[in-house]
Amino acid sequence: MSLLELKNVYKIYGELHALDDVSLKVEKGEWVSIMGPSGSGKSTMMNIIGCMDKPTKGEVLLDGVDISKESSKNLTTIRRDKIGLIFQQFHLVNYLTAVENVMLAQYYHSIPDEKEALEALERVGLADRARHLPSQLSGGEQQRVCVARALINYPEIILADEPTGNLDEANEEIVVDLFHKLHDDGTTLIVVTHDPEVAEVAQRTLVLRSGKFSKEIVNENFTGKIRFGDNNPI
Amino acid sequence: MIKKRRMFFRMIFASLMRRRSRMIVALLSIAIGATILSGLVSIYYDVPRQMGAEFRNYGANMILTGRDGSFTNTNIAAAKGVIPSNELVGAAPYRYENVRIREKPVVAAGTDPAGVKATSPYWLINDGEWFEKSGELLVGANIADAFRLKAGDKIEVSYTPESQQAAAADNQVVEDNFREFTISGILKTGGSEEDYVYMPMSDLEELTGISDKIDLTELSVSATSDKLKDYASEIDSVVPAVNASLVKRVTASEATVLTKLQALVLLVTVVVLALTMICVATTMTAVVAERRKEIGLRKAIGASDGSIIKEFMGESMLLGLFGGIIGSVLGYVFAQQVSIHVFSSSISFRPLLVPITIIVSILVTGVSSLMPIRSATDIDPALVLKGE
Amino acid sequence: MFGRMIRGTLFRQWKKMLMIAFTIALGASLASAMLSVMLDVGDKVNQELKTYGANIKVVPKQSSVVSGLYEVEDGSAGAYLKEDELGKIKTIFWTYNIVDYAPFVNVDAKLSDGSEVTVVGSWFDHFMELPTGEKLNAGMESMRSWWEITSGSWLNEQTSGSVSGQAMVGTELAEKQGLKVGDKFSLTGESSSAEYTVACIFDSGGEEDSQIFIQLDSAQALGGLDGKVDSIEVSALTTPDNELAERAAKEGPTSLTVAQYELWYCTAYASSICWQIQEVITDCVASPVRQVADSEGEILNKTELLMILITILSLIGAALGICNLVTASVMERSQEIGLMKAIGAYNGSVSLLLLTEIFITAIIGGVAGFFAGFGFAQIIGHSVFGSAITLRPMVIPLVAVLVVVVTLIGCIPAIRMLLRLRPTEVLHGR
Repeated sequence: MSLLELKNVYKIYGELHALDDVSLKVEKGEWVSIMGPSGSGKSTMMNIIGCMDKPTKGEVLLDGVDISKESSKNLTTIRRDKIGLIFQQFHLVNYLTAVENVMLAQYYHSIPDEKEALEALERVGLADRARHLPSQLSGGEQQRVCVARALINYPEIILADEPTGNLDEANEEIVVDLFHKLHDDGTTLIVVTHDPEVAEVAQRTLVLRSGKFSKEIVNENFTGKIRFGDNNPI
Repeated sequence: MIKKRRMFFRMIFASLMRRRSRMIVALLSIAIGATILSGLVSIYYDVPRQMGAEFRNYGANMILTGRDGSFTNTNIAAAKGVIPSNELVGAAPYRYENVRIREKPVVAAGTDPAGVKATSPYWLINDGEWFEKSGELLVGANIADAFRLKAGDKIEVSYTPESQQAAAADNQVVEDNFREFTISGILKTGGSEEDYVYMPMSDLEELTGISDKIDLTELSVSATSDKLKDYASEIDSVVPAVNASLVKRVTASEATVLTKLQALVLLVTVVVLALTMICVATTMTAVVAERRKEIGLRKAIGASDGSIIKEFMGESMLLGLFGGIIGSVLGYVFAQQVSIHVFSSSISFRPLLVPITIIVSILVTGVSSLMPIRSATDIDPALVLKGE
Repeated sequence: MFGRMIRGTLFRQWKKMLMIAFTIALGASLASAMLSVMLDVGDKVNQELKTYGANIKVVPKQSSVVSGLYEVEDGSAGAYLKEDELGKIKTIFWTYNIVDYAPFVNVDAKLSDGSEVTVVGSWFDHFMELPTGEKLNAGMESMRSWWEITSGSWLNEQTSGSVSGQAMVGTELAEKQGLKVGDKFSLTGESSSAEYTVACIFDSGGEEDSQIFIQLDSAQALGGLDGKVDSIEVSALTTPDNELAERAAKEGPTSLTVAQYELWYCTAYASSICWQIQEVITDCVASPVRQVADSEGEILNKTELLMILITILSLIGAALGICNLVTASVMERSQEIGLMKAIGAYNGSVSLLLLTEIFITAIIGGVAGFFAGFGFAQIIGHSVFGSAITLRPMVIPLVAVLVVVVTLIGCIPAIRMLLRLRPTEVLHGR
């Protein structure tokens, strides 16, 4: 069974078919990029996968559960337990320190544990910046806090929406490296982006156009430890 | 769970401390609301007492007279005992005797200078000073005019004792009692008091040779007219020698005016409080509404509506608590200042007002933040995060 | 384009703007209600304090004590005031401040059983037409509000025509003589005697309880004092005394400089009203009844001061409320402001846009609030004093200035933030 499966999903706003009969399967441990120009339905797709929106039609199976019929309260629970979100605009709570922002996710999920949160920050290379406020951090650092926050609850899927959209090249590289690391640890990654460079490093890239997948590119030179179709993390 | 609670407070404190300027704005408005609440309410409760005290300026509101002519100091003491000492503003005994100044008859009143000062605060000394010591005479303005007297003059006052009055009637030589007085001041009231001369009771007793005789006593009591009636009937029954009656002009008018003044302060308090509370509520609404994005983010990373409401309400209510505490202190200070400046007396501290102020400010902030928090949690997190 | 942008904000963001307007309206209504009440409270309380009765007493120049002292016999010139001059009191400078007045004449008379009684002649609600054409009612009824009418009713000079044969009898005397309403009794005075009907029995709680009150002219006839009056009691609305009034009262108005005199004469101090009464009534001494006048001043001053302090507190409250909300709402729009700056708006033009928007909102809110506040003031006026609160023109500029200044202050932190704002920070969501 796939970790995530979209079956003939539609999202219709009036006349506009933001998603038009989309189907997708993502296996556990996979690293998938979704690419496409603006208005292609990327964000809609990301919202649906991230349990922040429901499709008009079709099924979305996460871990075998159809989330398209769940109430918004249950969606919140599912999102909390299974999904880690990374945003283009980082969205850190600006009056909480880096470590507190990470702990916030723990807090809503289960029990905050500062030590664990610090370890997560260490993993993204920010151990020494843990006590800083978002305003004292660079964009790249903020995004890394965001990554640490996303992975703190060991989600089934990390869903990143334009994670490098606001970053310079150096920071972009750091974040991509982080994704590699996460992938090596067995995390399922779905990265929504319009930046081919970021998309290409994934195991496969799906290109979305006008609400439909127009193309699938499999990365032959993928350098990660886990290959496409290999379901066993180390 | 302990860790969870600790995180809860850590977040609230972080929000309060690190968003300092915004929080100060909110706190300030809550505090001023609470100040107005506690200040106005304590003024409202104190006004009847304070204003009542001001109305004592109208002078005596109860008169004691002897049932059979004159009465004694013991009777007064007994009658005064009926009225609680904190309500008794002053008591002045009066005894009137016919005396002569420069061979002309004049009515002299013996009294207690300090007592008169308390019961008749409106007496104006036009020239000179209040009479205090033995040998000092306060002269009514009309008498002073007639005799061309001024403060500082020395005059002789004579009295014909009862034993000699028969002789006086027969136009025989009488042996008058004499006593020299210094005029301490000229009395102006606009009333009949200007036709008398006033001297300390002891001087009159010495002059006449008769002591412990009082014609009437004026009492100034700070109490409502119902209570005054009770006191009067109690005095009548406790001290049979004395007849207590109320000065209707003072008591009835005081009741009318004081009721209106209280109603005025009450209504003003209600209007100001209502408007202020709405003002605080809108400010809180604005302060919370501003954080919709943050609420959206928290939802996106998995917060349930319940926990968001709990946190934001916790924060608002904590602000309400601090605002309430600051407000109770400032309100007390304000009421105290008002009391000192307006009534030149201090206000009594009402401990009950502190919890009430705090609870009300917590409730107002809580309720007014609940609405925007609710509406923010209803919104799709995706929409909020996209930046509208 | 500027207008279009403003319209855009006002109409499209009407919810937020409505909220600001609402808060400003709240603050403005608080301010205007409190200011109106505060400015009118003096007059209102003054009116209420009239229940204490007359605050000015007019007596003949040669007072009874003096005539008594020098053994001048009654009836000599100057010991009485002239009845035909009474109307002149309503011709003085402060005539509108004179609420009521009544003449009194005391006559000693004997009842049929031979007992002596003091008969007081007065006006009850006398109707007069002045030479100036002015019509007025004057009388003692409103100046004896504390009298309790135990039976019968006040003499009414106007509706029952002549009431010369009717009398109001004090409760003590009525008890002693066994008189009831409707009973007839005869009075014998110095020059004539007449029969009276008891129209009313009253309880005054004072010496009047053993007196009889009848109409002025019948008392004059009884005592042979035609056209003569013992004293006049005047109830006037006065301004509490200040230093100037005290000096004028103490040293006489002649001690004042011309400017001071004018100020004193044209202020409704008890002493200046007295002075003006003395100018129109021959050979009289008008003096404030200190028990009433002085206490009135005290209470008026205290009430006004109390209201001023409460007003100041509520103004601070209103100001902070408005200030806070304006700041908060402008800050909230930092993103939009950043965007404007990013597409090339100067600080000045952005500030101007912001200020214009806020001020249009403030004007709407302020006007609405002003009327609401005036409404609140009316509620207070009607429920407390049973009369409307007069709109003082002064309130309008005061509220306007308050709203403008406070809104401006509220904008300052926002504008400062705006000037510091770097577009990139905002657009990239800080």
